[in-house]
Amino acid sequence: MVPLSWYLALSAALFTIGVAGVLVQRNVISIFMCIELMLNSVNLTLVAFSRFLNQSTGQLFVFIVMAVAAAEAAVGLAIIISVFRNRETLSVDEESLLKL
Amino acid sequence: MQFSNLNLDYFSILPEIITALAGVILMLIDAFSKKAGRKLSPMFSLFALVATLASIIALWPRASYTASFAGMIVNDHLRLYFALVIVACGIIATLLASQFLDDEALPPGEFYALMMFATTGMLMMASAGDLVMVFLGLETSSIATYVMAGYRRTDLRANESSLKYFLLGSFSAAFLLYGMALTYGATGTTNIEGIRQILIAGKVIYPQMLLVGVAMMLVGFGFKIATAPFHLWTPDVYEGAPTLVTAILATGPKVAVFAAFLRVFAEGLGTPTAPAVGAQIYDNWINALAVMAAIGMTFGNIVALAQRNMKRMLAYSSIAHGGYTLIGFLTTEYAPVGFYMLTYALMSLGAFAIVQMLAREGDAKTEISDYAGIGFEVPNLSFPLAIFMLSMAGIPPMAGFMGKFYVFKSAWVSSPNLRWLVIVAIINSIISVYYYLYPIVVMFFRPPVSDFTKPRLSPMSQLALAITIIGTLYFGLFPNGALKVLQQKTPGAQQVAVQK
Repeated sequence: MVPLSWYLALSAALFTIGVAGVLVQRNVISIFMCIELMLNSVNLTLVAFSRFLNQSTGQLFVFIVMAVAAAEAAVGLAIIISVFRNRETLSVDEESLLKL
Repeated sequence: MQFSNLNLDYFSILPEIITALAGVILMLIDAFSKKAGRKLSPMFSLFALVATLASIIALWPRASYTASFAGMIVNDHLRLYFALVIVACGIIATLLASQFLDDEALPPGEFYALMMFATTGMLMMASAGDLVMVFLGLETSSIATYVMAGYRRTDLRANESSLKYFLLGSFSAAFLLYGMALTYGATGTTNIEGIRQILIAGKVIYPQMLLVGVAMMLVGFGFKIATAPFHLWTPDVYEGAPTLVTAILATGPKVAVFAAFLRVFAEGLGTPTAPAVGAQIYDNWINALAVMAAIGMTFGNIVALAQRNMKRMLAYSSIAHGGYTLIGFLTTEYAPVGFYMLTYALMSLGAFAIVQMLAREGDAKTEISDYAGIGFEVPNLSFPLAIFMLSMAGIPPMAGFMGKFYVFKSAWVSSPNLRWLVIVAIINSIISVYYYLYPIVVMFFRPPVSDFTKPRLSPMSQLALAITIIGTLYFGLFPNGALKVLQQKTPGAQQVAVQK
């Protein structure tokens, strides 16, 4: 059987890629995808724990996370569209109206 | 989660049920009759919020640690008190909303519905007895407020504010969630009381992983309450969002996140005497929090000194207030934090309400220089604003003073080795007097601006303003009533909900 640490290492790696992507990417959609990657890496962690602890709690948590992520995607894409309509750009570097 | 003892006690989630149903009904009202909606929606949401208030008061005699819904909902005094403050914020915001929506010609239906859904999420955070519920409540309120921040859809600043709030909000939620997942893996349960029992029993499966998980949860909560060093989104979001929405963002969600923060850290991880990793975790998070509080206060106050925009100044001041509130965590009781949040919510809502009334359409006039000389032109707005500013600065007899005094005093008594933090906080509140007095000086002692016209005030906004002013003075002069409510101890031994 694949040991627990492998799953955890994989999800930690995915989470790190997500964080790095959010910090490095300049396109709003890419940033948003990286956030989704972070959420899904957490799902992997939860499922792995759930399996190795022999519980269903973690899997239930994953369902709730997936529902929340879907709701967030709906709202997030709507916000991105309304920004795009007004600015015709998706680069976060251009989002610099509010600054000190 | 225990499935043997579900304890489906629907009465214990009555407040959440009322607000969620009201949100759905408000959307239907808007769908069927747009015209009637403008008059009907605010009345209906007020009615629903008052009903929620009544249901919270009706739940008071039943306060106990007995968790319902398989440990998901805890109905103790912490929950009831914070729910009361959250609904009070909702009522004041609803009273202010109708004038805002009329003046800006924005569609009313969704706004009230979103506010109801956000309130539902906040109430869920206050009543959460499980990490799953904390996350769900946090996201329910966040998703609604992301939309509200961008409610003025054609305004570039509101767009940007909403986008920044959304990206950083969901980024921080992912951190919080990862922390929760690791905590779950390390302890084998997501129930907050269960985690506490496991720490006390010394039965943590992976101690190192618990440390990482708790650290990540701290980052996630730190983002949501906007304390330094996780505050960078706050000034931009607060400035760009419509002022009324800023008032809502700065109060309700913050109060709710503090409730969940208290529940998870002060209750779940507040185990100074637990064996091995339990005590270590407690030491670690309390020290990390002390540093966060110190940085938050100092940074918020010093940067606020340089602000010339009223909303940005209030945003930095809210970062500083977050820092002060964190000092209350040193006591691991909820009373200091609860009382500070009550006073902060009242004065913040009041101050933002006046900024909104003076700002006019599209938030055109939010620079402090726009307030020059208006002191005696609109005394019904300038004097209240002065009261709120003095209250935030912590000048007696206003509520802000009592809140600060209570937090500092209880932290001083309860944790002798972190007294330096209280001293830092007192120095900070002295610094903050400068920038809180600045708008007052501008209003009363500068030559008036020529193009100033008196803003219209609807009866509902006047009522909201009256509530915040009376509240600010009342809790400053007679805090005993609120403190007595806060110091109630939940009866009965703590119920254990540990899964085998």
